Amino acid sequence: MHLIDRLLDRLSMALAVFACAIVACMFVNIVIDVSMRTMNFTPPAFTLSVVEYALLYFAMCCAPYLVRHRGHVTIEALVSVLPRVLQWWLAKIVYLGCMAVCLLFCYYATELFLEAWASQEPDIRGIDMPYWTLFLPMPICFLLVALEFSLYFIGPKTFYSYDLGEVKDSV
Amino acid sequence: MEWYSAGTLLIGVLVVLMASGFPVAIAFMITNVLGIFVFSNGWSNLIQIVDNSTYLITTFTLAPIPMFILMGSLFFYTGLASRVFDALDKLLGKIPGRLCYLTVIGGSLFSTLTGSTMANTAMLGSLLVPEMRRRGYNGKMSMGPILGTGGLAMIIPPSSLGVLLASIANVDVGMLLVAGLLPGLVLASLYAGMITLQLKLDPEGAPTYDVDPISLKAKLYEVCVNILPMGLVVFMVVGFIVLGWATPSESASFGVLGVVILAVLFRAFTWEAFKTSLMGTVRTAGMVFFILMNSTVFSQLLALSGASEGMLAFATSFSVGPYVILAIMFLVLLMLGMFMDPVSMMLITVPIFYPLAQTLGFDLIWFSLIVLIALEMSQTTPPFGLLLFIMLGMAPRGTTLIQVALAAAPFLLCDLILVLLMVMIPELPLYLPSLMEK
Repeated sequence: MHLIDRLLDRLSMALAVFACAIVACMFVNIVIDVSMRTMNFTPPAFTLSVVEYALLYFAMCCAPYLVRHRGHVTIEALVSVLPRVLQWWLAKIVYLGCMAVCLLFCYYATELFLEAWASQEPDIRGIDMPYWTLFLPMPICFLLVALEFSLYFIGPKTFYSYDLGEVKDSV
Repeated sequence: MEWYSAGTLLIGVLVVLMASGFPVAIAFMITNVLGIFVFSNGWSNLIQIVDNSTYLITTFTLAPIPMFILMGSLFFYTGLASRVFDALDKLLGKIPGRLCYLTVIGGSLFSTLTGSTMANTAMLGSLLVPEMRRRGYNGKMSMGPILGTGGLAMIIPPSSLGVLLASIANVDVGMLLVAGLLPGLVLASLYAGMITLQLKLDPEGAPTYDVDPISLKAKLYEVCVNILPMGLVVFMVVGFIVLGWATPSESASFGVLGVVILAVLFRAFTWEAFKTSLMGTVRTAGMVFFILMNSTVFSQLLALSGASEGMLAFATSFSVGPYVILAIMFLVLLMLGMFMDPVSMMLITVPIFYPLAQTLGFDLIWFSLIVLIALEMSQTTPPFGLLLFIMLGMAPRGTTLIQVALAAAPFLLCDLILVLLMVMIPELPLYLPSLMEK
């Protein structure tokens, strides 16, 4: 159990670091593109497509890390006033629901990925990207998110700040 | 299914899931699954939800969101924020309620450099509340201006929430950002006026104290070295859009570049600050994007079920003026804000409110600013306004939520005055965007 927890921790951290790299790359890409355009050079054709894909990869790569570090925003105002026993049961139902829906998304994302892989169709944007690249991060990350929620479900950890006496941050 | 049953089912399930403690993004995912099952051909179309969510997130107009968050994080973690603040502190000299005015001036300036309401309130609160208490300011004068000014970041450009709203409502991002400038400055002036009024009524609320006088030369030095250079960031964000060098989606990256350049020039740029800022971006933007992926499918479901169209027809069937409907929408936002965060509120209401606003003939830029002010106010209204809790976390022990809310009340009144001004003088927010059109 401890081993799985550590492994998931490393994986989610590695994906979060990859998400950091994506942000840095998007920043560099956009700055170079605009600078070249302003100086009347022809900017690379891939910037738009790369940034658009990067946004999806960024969103997916952050997700497991956010679950582990309780970064996904929740509305706790109503739950926090419930009796402790009810809170505990409700939390377990929530973790189970989260796991189930993420596994469902993982299944359908895998199906989409395999279909796109088999067809080798391109996704036509600024530059043509293989269509399967669009679905590549989804099954992996949804599976990891489901596994992260499973740790909350079976373990003593809590996803909620009312258990820890803190206020969650938001935008 | 009738539109009202469809709407109640979709919105009802979503609200119940959110209220039960499901993460907002997951609540949208579950609602979407149930929605597609009910309104489409059973499970066979479920794959469509996953497919659509990839398309909706891979949109270039969403690129500024992580960039603005990175810009704000870098501004704080490199210490540039403290530098500006210290300079402003020295400039104000000995005036009654100086720390309150410092809050408004500093907060307005930070708003242009961070774009984040939470960051703004947390920064102002952590810097100023202890100092104000030490100087004998009462709770009302120490917490109120911070709560009011913290929210300025919601409308003064660049506002990260503004960019998000523009992206999901299909409104011109650049125009919305620029439109917030004048109302933001008017609001800051209203806050300053409110502080003056409060000081007149209760001079003991913020006692005057001695400060070391500094020479004119030293003041000029502070302005030139620590304040004016920050204009580079504002120029690289707003100026680049106005000059047509970068699109609004691109200018955010130049805001980051501006902060990096300044941090390097001030020798404040460290690898540690950069790493911390990037991780901060992952936490905030990652959360927003995961919600966005799923909430946009929810908007499509509202349309597919006929709920959006039905609600629109229903709302316009009454023989009441458009401003009455506007007031109702404003109240709905304030009420939602009592138990929801701004992003969730936005995502639920945009698919319903925007088509309605368009049908009523409102300018969508103008309407977006009204929505942003409502979102800002909702975060400062009891019982669950998030800014109230942030302030409570920084207030001295024994401070109650009621005291924090009462301190914020006069500043909420200023927000309402601004809304009325914008209704009476629509040119207030629309003048600058009209220059862009030319």
